[in-house]
Amino acid sequence: MRAYNNLCADIGYMSLNHAGEQLCGDHIEIAGQDGGSTVIVLADGLGSGVKANILSTITSKIISTMLAAGLNLTDCVETIAATLPVCGERGIAYSTFTILRLVGNERAEIIQYDNPPVILLREGTCVELPSVSLTVGGKRIVRTDVALRENDVFIAMSDGVEHAGVGGVYNFGWRREDIVRYMETLWHVGFTAKTLTTILLQETDRLYDGKPGDDATVCTVRIRTRVPMNLLCGPPANRDDNEKMMSLFFGKEGKHIVCGGTTSAIAAEYLGQSLQADLDFPDPDIPPTARIAGVDLVTEGVVTINRVLEYAKNYLADNSGYARWSVGKDGASRIARLLFEEATDINFFVGCAVNPAHQNPDLPISFSLKMRLVEELSDCLARMGKRIKTSYF
Amino acid sequence: MNITVCIGSSCHLKGSRVVVGRLERLILENGLKDQIDLCGTFCLGCCQSGVSVQFDGAYYSLSPENTERFFIETVLPLLRDERVAGMRRSD
Repeated sequence: MRAYNNLCADIGYMSLNHAGEQLCGDHIEIAGQDGGSTVIVLADGLGSGVKANILSTITSKIISTMLAAGLNLTDCVETIAATLPVCGERGIAYSTFTILRLVGNERAEIIQYDNPPVILLREGTCVELPSVSLTVGGKRIVRTDVALRENDVFIAMSDGVEHAGVGGVYNFGWRREDIVRYMETLWHVGFTAKTLTTILLQETDRLYDGKPGDDATVCTVRIRTRVPMNLLCGPPANRDDNEKMMSLFFGKEGKHIVCGGTTSAIAAEYLGQSLQADLDFPDPDIPPTARIAGVDLVTEGVVTINRVLEYAKNYLADNSGYARWSVGKDGASRIARLLFEEATDINFFVGCAVNPAHQNPDLPISFSLKMRLVEELSDCLARMGKRIKTSYF
Repeated sequence: MNITVCIGSSCHLKGSRVVVGRLERLILENGLKDQIDLCGTFCLGCCQSGVSVQFDGAYYSLSPENTERFFIETVLPLLRDERVAGMRRSD
């Protein structure tokens, strides 16, 4: 992938299901394109449950795949019209969609069909998007082209969000102006796309009194600059490689996180600094952190990383652990903030030495567990849209 | 005087937090806050026999259960000897 500038897109999405439904009738599909472009499609299928789920999945998958392959919009729309199964009750095949196409992280092309219009927050206020209306395959489609700026926040949603509170809290649902005002106040905080999405959907769920009358989906895209981060864990399999591993690690641009007792001792020795461990337990299950001058964060290894992995899995799901790791002073929360919120490009330096003490069958940790933890964590981070590079020593 | 408790992975899982908590309480109860510095370390190289504790140049293998005994039988006598030696020196 070629980056045209130092900007990148932080993408976060989530759905609320119609009360009582196991499947969501909305679907989001993301496809990468050669040359650093990304295609995001949010589709909302007619009705709810299985039928809607099939409609929206087919729609979003077809559009994202075809657009990413370079085909034009007319072909996509015609293919969908020819493919979607016709609903027996209503006699129509129908799924609305929003397409957000980020080209080389320089401009965004937004194509909308019947979903609530995409909101763009620029410098904290909602900006109206210049758009043209066109007819493609008999459908009225609105197209917008906008140059990207750092800190732009795009919010795409299905109509289930706007319908929240109809007849309850609000007479006519949560109007667009209300949603804009609600989100404008959050722009300044610097929340990640996923967190912004979660906050908006939590409010939607509250307005529905916990029983959504429609599927509600939000996809937030935040344009930000790339931030590199480096994480070192485990001593190298061969002691002679200590020097090499440390010089490569500390030679990297960005913040440096060191995990593991022996590992931090090696890092401290390499830097010619002392290693000072704290004795505070802000979280009773996570060992205290330590300090080495020249290292941004020093933590214990397996136990801490295991917790970071739990937070990562939760972040990708409903992000309910946010309240804990976003403020926690323990090592795991601090790593989570650095990796999930701050970093966009993460370099893992993984040492493969086996700690004999960890091979004790009475302890819930082992060498294979440690390697699996790191792999799973980098998988999760990749799914958050981060660029991951792992080197083994 | 320093009591250094290992808070690395193995020792953590074997209960170093509880050991730290008990030592803190014992130091406070005996009014020794000025004489004993309780500190943490990542690895004392004795992971097999944790919770590893270093005191007066020697290594001890503690558990939450034997922490109090260690304090009464090892720490307190040594402090008493130190104090006696200190008084003699100032005479």
